[in-house]
Amino acid sequence: MGEIKWERDFNIAVDKAKKTKKPIYHDFWFDG
Amino acid sequence: MNAGPYSDEKFQKYIEEEFIPLKSQCFWDKRTELMKHFDIVWTPTLLIHDSEGKEHYRIVGYVPTDDLLAHLKFGKGKLFFNRHHYAEAISQFKAVIEQHPDAGVTPEAIFFLGVAEYFKTHDAKALRRVYDTLTSRYPQSEWARRSQPYSQIPLEEPARSAAK
Repeated sequence: MGEIKWERDFNIAVDKAKKTKKPIYHDFWFDG
Repeated sequence: MNAGPYSDEKFQKYIEEEFIPLKSQCFWDKRTELMKHFDIVWTPTLLIHDSEGKEHYRIVGYVPTDDLLAHLKFGKGKLFFNRHHYAEAISQFKAVIEQHPDAGVTPEAIFFLGVAEYFKTHDAKALRRVYDTLTSRYPQSEWARRSQPYSQIPLEEPARSAAK
């Protein structure tokens, strides 16, 4: 089973979204 | 939300094909700039942004896989809807309705499908069909109650008056 390849930087995600025309799925998570 | 939907292969495939997946860790004792910017007050908080980074849809709290897939398709639909791209919005709302009939967001998708069809065609019968569909398929939903004003819209064109 694979894993989702997450981006961790918001600005890089926006750049990728502009290039690919895809929306961003943004998960705010807490390790606790 | 590391288990649940994220360990589901169907979800993984969908999210990687349709979105740029982004994770931001939250720290309650030292809120990050992104937490402040997007007013994050609970986790998980799941946002859908357009390609400019603008938020179009928000889900707060854990959501099981099928419900989450429905939310993401609905959220994409709302993104298109907000930009007045009604054909694309309609396609997303139909995907929610047809592929996730038991999801919590589906009655809302039926409502916005009708609104998007109305904006696309300027035919108010689309709104009447919202009322009919919601009251027959999801009569207990809030969205059925919210569609009540559309119940008076006639489905048939008024008969032409007799020729003089």
